Amino acid sequence: MRGLLIALTGFSYVVVLLPILIVVVTAFSASEFFAFPPKGFSLRWFEAFFASDSMRGAFSRSLQIATIASILATVLGTMASIAIARRKGTLFNLVQGMFLAPLIFPAIVLGLSLLIFYKSIGGVPDFLGLVIAHSVLGLPFVVRSVTSSLLAVDPALEEAGQSLKASPVDVFIFIIAPLIWPGMLAGGIFAFILSLGELNTALFLTGPGVTTLPIEIFSYLQFQGGQLVIAAASAIQIFMIIAIVLIAERLIGLKRIVRSES
Amino acid sequence: MGSGLSMNRQTAFWALLAPPLLFVGIFFVVPLLNLFWVSLHGASSTELFGSNLSGENYYRILTDSFYHTIILRTLWAGMSIMLLCLVLGYATAYVIAPLPPRTRLIMLLLLVAPLMVSNVIRAYGWIAILGRQGVVNSMLRSTGLIDGPLLLLNSFEAVAFGLMTILLSYMVVSIVNALNAIDRQYIEAAQSLKANPVRTFIEVVWPLSSPGVASGTLLVFLLTLSAYVTITLLGGPRMKLLVSLVFDSVSGFRWPLAAALSFALLTLALVVAGLILALLRPGRVQGRG
Repeated sequence: MRGLLIALTGFSYVVVLLPILIVVVTAFSASEFFAFPPKGFSLRWFEAFFASDSMRGAFSRSLQIATIASILATVLGTMASIAIARRKGTLFNLVQGMFLAPLIFPAIVLGLSLLIFYKSIGGVPDFLGLVIAHSVLGLPFVVRSVTSSLLAVDPALEEAGQSLKASPVDVFIFIIAPLIWPGMLAGGIFAFILSLGELNTALFLTGPGVTTLPIEIFSYLQFQGGQLVIAAASAIQIFMIIAIVLIAERLIGLKRIVRSES
Repeated sequence: MGSGLSMNRQTAFWALLAPPLLFVGIFFVVPLLNLFWVSLHGASSTELFGSNLSGENYYRILTDSFYHTIILRTLWAGMSIMLLCLVLGYATAYVIAPLPPRTRLIMLLLLVAPLMVSNVIRAYGWIAILGRQGVVNSMLRSTGLIDGPLLLLNSFEAVAFGLMTILLSYMVVSIVNALNAIDRQYIEAAQSLKANPVRTFIEVVWPLSSPGVASGTLLVFLLTLSAYVTITLLGGPRMKLLVSLVFDSVSGFRWPLAAALSFALLTLALVVAGLILALLRPGRVQGRG
């Protein structure tokens, strides 16, 4: 029994990690087409990636969207959390549910509803439309992690500040923010990573000339077959995520990384 | 002065809550209501939707056997992926949960970090492994076991397997959390009453871990519903699930039909979520929702 459980566990790790490993190894191959094991080592596909206007453009656009959307989500999510973290009652549960809903809401429906909404109000620039969609999707991660940080703050601290006539802004800057920044950072980092790889709303909201890197990779796979430049594009995204995880581990600890994802 | 202070707090409360509330209201709730409104109209060749209210889109989905086939296939896909994830995920969680905290965190990170990688990249990894020129085929060919390539992709099984590997981590993390929340004393009590390990599992561990199982299966099913890119890449052009029809209708500019199909998808999500909660009754475990 024990043996079977360990075998199944090993299988889980293999099927989760192997595809990612294969992509990274492939990205460094020297051959024209996919071959395994790869023939030779080269950086030619990374050069091809940065030489391609559409790939480079999609990459830098993805970074810009992720940066703006995660900042927006962090600011809005922190405001919402501070306002309602300690409130009780049906109405506040409902409001909080609304902020958290995009977590489990089918993102494809959100993408379509935003596309039709943008069309109904006379059109929104693709870039802005994507920033908005990714902020909506990132918001719940911020609300969740900031709320749990806030609930760990002793309310007496806040009251002490208020009784000393500190303005709400001062209370936030000098009392609350220093205590909850790891929660804000965890939520923000997660919103950034989510935006970087997001497909379901981007499918609807990208337009001709305005794509994100995951959508660019998807259309390459669908229409142009297996050029290895996609492996390089994927590997770059994987390296970025590894770097972000390592930095986050220093700043906020492993526990928060594992928790903010689930 | 006291009322001045509370005024101040009241203003601060609304100043904090109004911007995020408006943002989510305008860009999540209103578009959804608008989508429903669009779904209640016929098609139009010039506008987003026709001018007359009609239930024709829903009528079509409910009566056309083509849609029934797709909806059943979607349900079947969701169930298969859920079950695969449950078996593998529970076994994995059962092995990881009792490990020392630091080791457990690292083992979990190895499963959670891949969730941050875009699904399109993870699907591409499976194409590289299972495709015509992929790892499996080239290895089998070099050993002389096969002459032509095996077709391992473009099937229901490929989609179910691929999505299972993409979503498995959610299940493991949910169940590990639930297992670690179980008070060891319950298990010791069962053992001191001479319950064997199987009976201890069935009567103590499984019911107490049901909140984790419920949230894991729920998440896996809901994410399966949206996974257009994975379904398209691993299933090929003919493997259509409900989400593919939403996308196809959009490509054909049939907005009202796409909107109605979205609500069919949401209904499916709600029904299955209700069934999972009714079946597992996670609320019976004290102190958890």
